[in-house]
Amino acid sequence: MPTADEIFAKVRETLVDALGVDDDEITPEATLVGDLGAESIDFLDIVFRLEKNFAIKIPRGELFPESLAADQSLVKDGVVTPQGIAELRVKMPHADVEKFSKNPKVENIQELFTVQMIVNFLQNKLSGGSA
Amino acid sequence: MTQLEGKTALVTGGSRGIGRAIVQTLAQAGARVAFVYQSNAQAAEQLVAELAAKQLSATAYQANVANKDAADDIVKKVVDGWGKLDILVNNAGIVRDTLLATMSPEQWHEVIETNLTSVFNFCQAVTRPMMSARYGRIINMSSVAAEFGNKGQTNYAASKGGIEGFTRCLAKELASRGVTVNAVAPGFIETDMTAAVRNAAEAEIKKAIPARRLGKPEDIAQAVLFLAGDGASYLTGQVLKIDGGLTLGGF
Repeated sequence: MPTADEIFAKVRETLVDALGVDDDEITPEATLVGDLGAESIDFLDIVFRLEKNFAIKIPRGELFPESLAADQSLVKDGVVTPQGIAELRVKMPHADVEKFSKNPKVENIQELFTVQMIVNFLQNKLSGGSA
Repeated sequence: MTQLEGKTALVTGGSRGIGRAIVQTLAQAGARVAFVYQSNAQAAEQLVAELAAKQLSATAYQANVANKDAADDIVKKVVDGWGKLDILVNNAGIVRDTLLATMSPEQWHEVIETNLTSVFNFCQAVTRPMMSARYGRIINMSSVAAEFGNKGQTNYAASKGGIEGFTRCLAKELASRGVTVNAVAPGFIETDMTAAVRNAAEAEIKKAIPARRLGKPEDIAQAVLFLAGDGASYLTGQVLKIDGGLTLGGF
């Protein structure tokens, strides 16, 4: 079981390759879309590379849940409902949902996708957790 | 020719007609070529032998291209064996021409699955290796029938129109990864597939073609060769008509 630092180093390497960004841009707090410029196809690429680099399988939607904003019951008037936030906590235990819940606008969902979120996910995954 | 030296290619529907010419052309350009054939093992073996006689190698796989598992399996074998797949040519296609009023559901589905679902199957299978390699050339075989239509070809034209839309979407999805996706739309080409219509109306057809001749499989293969090369890296999401001017209209 690698340490958190070892996982972070490997995630950084993966993101440098996948996104063509510099080492020093990859901080734990950096958001994939806002700070690192990731687009939809990049999320797929990141998953492929993580699977290879960590020799694991990441089922579709597990690291980056899809179409969160499309469910009418979870979003109302551009804001994620309390039910939606509860759903996010279940689907993304690796993300900082607490921080998001303070300003739960739909467009802020992408801020959940940080480098630290990937590290958390992998830590749990590599220690035998389910998500 | 060595413009595809070091490249690897997979061609579906490769044993006969246009596909055969594409396999020959890519191999002659220096690529290692694998091809898929459906039923004619003799034609496939003959093609492999012909190329071997020229010191060129090709590998034949028998499969139904509409079968997703078969597509995954063949792409995996090629990537595992050669370490990469640079070029995919989705050429496999059939016709089951008949007026819509008399078309059976089987005739509809067979054409859609062989011509269009096969493109989904093979493109999806190559996406990951091509994305990871940051390089790829996908070339899908359409037809001028997609845009202009022919009586008796609702199934065929729908499959080819589907391929053109698919081509544009996938081109956008993969452009940032160095993978180009284009289509080639042949006009009337001298192959087994067009034999029936040629026998019925060859003189008429020639009159309608400004070049005054039918196309040859090699005419299409040369365009595929260009699209498959490094030189076409900025060309994506396009449909290239190769029809001797047939569809230009006017006088």
